[in-house]
Amino acid sequence: MFSIFGAIPAKAVEVITHKSITQQSLTTSQLRRIFTMRQTYWSNNNAITIFVLPSQHQLHRSFSKERLAIYPYQLERIWNKLTYSGLGVAPTVVDTPEALIQAVLNTPGAIGYASKDDLILFASAHSLDTKEDALQGDTTEKAKPTDGYNNQGVVHVINIID
Amino acid sequence: MLSILSTSLRDIMSKFLIKVVVTCSLLLSTPLIAEESYFNAQKFQVHGFVAQGIIDVNGSDFVNDDGELSAELTEVGINATYQLNSKLRLAGQLVYLDGGNRYAKGARIDYALLDWSIYNNDFWQANMYLGRFKNNHWLYSSSRDVPFARPSIILPQSVYFDGFRDIAVGSDGAAIKVSHSNDTYGNFDINLSYGTSPISDEQATNLLSKLAKGKAKQEHDAQASFYWQPAFSPWRFGVSLLDADFSYVQGTPSFDNPFVDSDFTFQFYTANALYEGEVWEFSSEIYQQRFIIDGFYQNGFHDDNVGQGFYVQTRYKWNSDLTFLARFEDFYLDKTDKNGKKLEENSGGLVPYYFGFNKDITLGLSYDFTSNIRLRMEYHWVKGAGRLTPVVVPNPRINDSEDWQMWAAQIMYWF
Repeated sequence: MFSIFGAIPAKAVEVITHKSITQQSLTTSQLRRIFTMRQTYWSNNNAITIFVLPSQHQLHRSFSKERLAIYPYQLERIWNKLTYSGLGVAPTVVDTPEALIQAVLNTPGAIGYASKDDLILFASAHSLDTKEDALQGDTTEKAKPTDGYNNQGVVHVINIID
Repeated sequence: MLSILSTSLRDIMSKFLIKVVVTCSLLLSTPLIAEESYFNAQKFQVHGFVAQGIIDVNGSDFVNDDGELSAELTEVGINATYQLNSKLRLAGQLVYLDGGNRYAKGARIDYALLDWSIYNNDFWQANMYLGRFKNNHWLYSSSRDVPFARPSIILPQSVYFDGFRDIAVGSDGAAIKVSHSNDTYGNFDINLSYGTSPISDEQATNLLSKLAKGKAKQEHDAQASFYWQPAFSPWRFGVSLLDADFSYVQGTPSFDNPFVDSDFTFQFYTANALYEGEVWEFSSEIYQQRFIIDGFYQNGFHDDNVGQGFYVQTRYKWNSDLTFLARFEDFYLDKTDKNGKKLEENSGGLVPYYFGFNKDITLGLSYDFTSNIRLRMEYHWVKGAGRLTPVVVPNPRINDSEDWQMWAAQIMYWF
């Protein structure tokens, strides 16, 4: 099972996007700009919609530190300032890792994150026998759940270049 | 032009906010997340907060006149944002505040604005805000009345003076924010704003005197600020400038309406630094203010005062839930009269020397029960009455001691 994700860099938290995002990779700087709301549009001019877990969630904390190199409280401050001063819009908070994957799957222009284990669980919960096919030989590292998501059910796992 | 625009925008936003409240109550009675539709995703978002605390002040009228334990520490807010199209967004927030003597009790429109995204790409963002916008120039000015977004229950009064809150918290007019992100040099933010704030009779009384029965008005408020965060640095640095003019019109002179027509000028310059480490955090602002009075006490009266101050603050994150805070603040109203002796002499002894300064040592902690429920507690040791209301004609009868203390505890929830 784990070998499915063998080509993914060895970090526990993956960055995932909606299938409409054609970019194969992002730099850490770009990722920081996106999650600190300093870049709100993709290069194809589509609005970026961000989904995150609650600030105390362990996966959120890992993502913040490992992927963005920002402490979770710093992110929370930036978002709170935007949300409660009217200056801008903050990411949408969802309650569970599964809901986050689902939200990214369903929202054009969306970006979020998921643990490798949750992606595997999500894939197996939604497609018992097609996940290997979906992932095999695909350099963009897609997890493809089926069961009602045939037409739109592709989550991109984005490469992050340090 | 700007005031007409902001007035009509305010009307639109009030209607908008009422709709939001109704929509919210409808939303709350139905499942929030349906497949492919996420509450607070994309176009429309609603957020809010509720905070209630207790506060006990001994030795001043900061919160109440009788010095008893008080529950006048209530802050409630609801806001909404709606993306009209890729360039335009509406946003507004209603707040209800009860802080005793600190500011006028009641509901107010905190901000109600049209956000125009003038230009943006991967590295640049330029936005113009029209309507009522929040002051985004000082370290904590835009989050000063958002309980969980500021560092303590009571902020350093020399910068975030509650007596000036309604005037300093924002303006009706226009603001511009330009942000640049550079992989080599870091993040740059420039903020410019121009507008006015309405001054209610209660605020005029708080600021001037109970005997100021005339009409006070802010003529203009122009501000600018610049922030720089070096690339991938835990440090951020900022500077800000403010220039504001006020007028006071006496009306019919009488025994209980003695103060004459006057002009006031207030200028305020700050520099700040912020360090955000994994467990330690450090922030500081230094500032100079200039307050010019022409008239008021009598025709031809002129006073030009330069005050100075600073605070240094540190926070230590014991773990992801518990944070400790320590802060020292020092401020004097006249840099040539740091101990207030001249103030006492010039007033013939009516205004005691300790009205010339404000020093505050604060220790506090905050504990997060969940991602959006927090308890905060703090203790202040204060020396001086330089940041108590009324400002222009102080009240030494209640504020009869140089040293006073307060403690407060507040529980807050936000969504």
